[in-house]
Amino acid sequence: MAIREFLKGATEIGKAMGVTLKALAEQPVTTEYPRDPVPLYPRFRGKHELRRYENGMERCIGCMLCEAACPTGAIYVEAAENDPQHPTSPGERYATVYEVNLLRCIFCGDCEEACPTEAIVLGHDFAMANYNRRDFILTKAELLNPGEPNVVIRPE
Amino acid sequence: MTDLVTLTIDDRQVSVPKGTLVLDAAARLGIEIPVFCSHPKLDPVACCRMCLVEISGPRGMLLQTACSVPVAQDMVVKTATQQVREVQEANLAFILLNHPLDCPICDKGGECPLQDQTLQFGPGLSQLVEPKRLKHKNHLISETIVLDQERCVVCWRCIRYLEEWEDKPQLALFERGGKTLIDIQEGQPVDAKTSGNIIDLCPVGALTNRVARFSYRPWEIERTPSLCTHCSLGCNLRLDTRTHKLRRVVGRENMQVNDQWLCDKGRFAHGWVNDDGRLTMPLVRKNGTLTPASWSEALGLVADKLQAVKRQHGASAVGAIGSAKLSNESNYLLQRWMRQSIGSNNIDHRDGADVAALPTGLPALAGLMKPQYGPAPRYDVVLLVGVDPSEELPVLDVHLKRAVRRGKTQLVVVHPRQIELTRYPGAFLQAAPGSEVTLINGLLRAVAEPGSAAWALVADASDQQVEALCGVAAAALQKAAALLAGAQNPLLVYGPMAARGESGPPLRQALTNLALYLGKPANLAYVGLEANSQGCRDLGVLPNRLPGHAALDDSAAAKALGKLWGCKLPAAPGKSYKQMLDSAGGDIKALYILGANPASERPLWAQTLARLEFLVVQEIFLTETAALADVVLPAVSWAEQDGTFTNLERRVQRAPKALNNPQSKAAPDWMILDHLASAFDAPWSHANAQAVTAEIAAVVPAYAGLTWEALGDQGLQWNGSGPAAAYARAEQPALPVSPTDSLQLTAGTVLYDGGKLFGLTRQMQGGAFGAEVRLHPSDSASLGVGEGEVVTVSSPYGSLQLTVKVDTTVKPGVAWVPESLPGAPVGALLNGSAQARVSIQKK
Repeated sequence: MAIREFLKGATEIGKAMGVTLKALAEQPVTTEYPRDPVPLYPRFRGKHELRRYENGMERCIGCMLCEAACPTGAIYVEAAENDPQHPTSPGERYATVYEVNLLRCIFCGDCEEACPTEAIVLGHDFAMANYNRRDFILTKAELLNPGEPNVVIRPE
Repeated sequence: MTDLVTLTIDDRQVSVPKGTLVLDAAARLGIEIPVFCSHPKLDPVACCRMCLVEISGPRGMLLQTACSVPVAQDMVVKTATQQVREVQEANLAFILLNHPLDCPICDKGGECPLQDQTLQFGPGLSQLVEPKRLKHKNHLISETIVLDQERCVVCWRCIRYLEEWEDKPQLALFERGGKTLIDIQEGQPVDAKTSGNIIDLCPVGALTNRVARFSYRPWEIERTPSLCTHCSLGCNLRLDTRTHKLRRVVGRENMQVNDQWLCDKGRFAHGWVNDDGRLTMPLVRKNGTLTPASWSEALGLVADKLQAVKRQHGASAVGAIGSAKLSNESNYLLQRWMRQSIGSNNIDHRDGADVAALPTGLPALAGLMKPQYGPAPRYDVVLLVGVDPSEELPVLDVHLKRAVRRGKTQLVVVHPRQIELTRYPGAFLQAAPGSEVTLINGLLRAVAEPGSAAWALVADASDQQVEALCGVAAAALQKAAALLAGAQNPLLVYGPMAARGESGPPLRQALTNLALYLGKPANLAYVGLEANSQGCRDLGVLPNRLPGHAALDDSAAAKALGKLWGCKLPAAPGKSYKQMLDSAGGDIKALYILGANPASERPLWAQTLARLEFLVVQEIFLTETAALADVVLPAVSWAEQDGTFTNLERRVQRAPKALNNPQSKAAPDWMILDHLASAFDAPWSHANAQAVTAEIAAVVPAYAGLTWEALGDQGLQWNGSGPAAAYARAEQPALPVSPTDSLQLTAGTVLYDGGKLFGLTRQMQGGAFGAEVRLHPSDSASLGVGEGEVVTVSSPYGSLQLTVKVDTTVKPGVAWVPESLPGAPVGALLNGSAQARVSIQKK
């Protein structure tokens, strides 16, 4: 009786150890964040960025269509006329103020879709925690100069 | 009675008056026919071809333009057939052929008829593969209007407005075919005073507002129906605001006042509303400098000091100056506070008691308007004395031009300058400034039957006398007299330029005599020039009149007012605007100035104001006067508070609050006065401006029944008549006699005056007047001064450095200086009237 129970227990332990031993050789499914990068889907929508053309000009023309498309009123734009000698963007109009309120944003991507020049895009940066409420409002300078430019232009 | 015509549109019958266009008949049935060139205020041209519909004719159903074909009996119109659809699609495709489709950066995007109609009637897909034709995109046709020739659909609306309404064909078509474009003549920008209206008329984004450019999108602005406060016409407009800023001003239709037009000052000169220089905190003078203080400190100080002055020197040592730029509510409370809490009648406003006015204003603006869709103008001859509508009341100028060109109205102009309206047939009497009384007497003598009672009054004003004193030839006088004598319904208008000073009362009497003889005493009107000139008079902001034009010794009115206010009214007449400022520091020890800037008008007043024991200024900017004050109370502008204004035809209109500045501690005028009265132990406790409006309705008989709600968006005109007119002799005051080399100075109001409110709109400064004196070529030649030379102009009262402009429109022997120029107050040369003798020396 005792032997049978001992054998049964040993088998169970062996089975369990088998699982452990098998997993010992496998790659871990978790990620050591922040030491290791987090894998993201290409269509992941994170922190906003404003893009430029190759010649350095801003793509944003200050048309405020993103502001109109935004379902939560998170975007605020003010536009003005370009100085013909030193234009900020192609054409006559550019954005003097571009602000995104991250506390309001729901990362739906409607702004991207509304943008006629593909200027505003949602990047892959998701680490947006902050100590100050004021810092949750992204200014134009921050949007134009993201820490890590890692934007994926979605084909749709 | 017009005949009715019955026709069938889309199988539905409609009866419309004869002469109606098919387009308008369809609109009655709620059938929309797309248009670009057609506009209800402009004559049809049928050039955009968008309104083609099938109309029955002798050759069967044919495509015809609905905007230019009048209805006919038993006409059949089809607007929704396959053929019409195809034509509309093809037409839109054609219009869009070279249209840049830059809607995202176009100010019209979102309120653009081209966008709307493309969506509703367009083909949906473009067949164009070739590159589009490129034209000028940023083409300034004036300092305030940008033309984008690529977006233009060549509808001619702008061209037609300038031709049909302004009578200034300054825009034209150039080139042909696909290259057709609209442009100005080389080097001649559009300078019509109401040119901004073409922005409202443009059906696409070709003409845009340079002042408001790119600062708004139509879908995110709040629209507040309001009115313009730059002149006394009270044009209806809409204030478009966003994030506590006034973004743009557009015209609003009121067929009793301004049709739908605005002048360029009203449309573009609003930069001051959001200027950083606005006062945001009460200021109290401490150790010689104005320092920010709390409201309770500032108001407490005002109450203490004024009560101390009243105790020490009596109530007559305190004065208050109201402002015809501010609302009825603010002015009413100021005069109530003055009469109730201080107990003095020392209350007046600029051009108040110093001007010989009439209480009733213009009979009705609508009587002057002659739109193509309305009745003929009610007045066949208009006499203008000392009024220049083109510079002072630009939308009235548009009405007059329309009346002249479409309604055969004739103008008789009495003015020392050859003003713009003198280009129309009629009569122009270029009278020497100050001699208007003799001229009007001479006119009456020429009109009246010799020997009649009226004639006897003016028997001495012979043609020779008129020619000698006024410098007007007998032939011109006879021509004007013939026009007036033959008039069925003449309108006589005079303004402050002629009515100021000692020649004012006799001029009013001379005009009354003339109006009486012509049988139309009610058609004589005085027009003030500021937004609420009429309201200030109605509400008793005068030293000799109680609210409702009641005389001070009208015991019934004084008793009724005293009962309402719970006090006894002062009986002694107060000092006028000029008297208060002249005696400031003398008899007047303390002044409360509401929205006026006398220190900028005359250097003398800057000195007298500085001598006051206590000066309080309630202002929106730190003006020259406010800089002299002991306490400055910050008020908000007309756009930031509720208020009503009474225009020159007695129409009370409301201007609701459109925006507010959350950073500012400035308060509405009525609220400041309400708190001030509380500090004087007279708590009125008005809950809001509407409560003050209700009180005004209870106090002023003519305003009885007026409520904020009843005024609506179009305002209400009060009915009333002035005192019964009677014949009396009008004596010409003696004209100053001085050396023969001196000139007669006259000052004139100009639209682009460089004043504080105008000067803050940067884009308009190109058209502003500089510090200048205008002389006739013969005078500049005899004085030996040339164009652009700086001269010293001196009169017995002072002198000014001004630049000479040679101008043939000025009468020989006259020096004309515009009013309200920055740094060159013409008041330095004058003493209360609009005229003086001046000598001119080269520098």
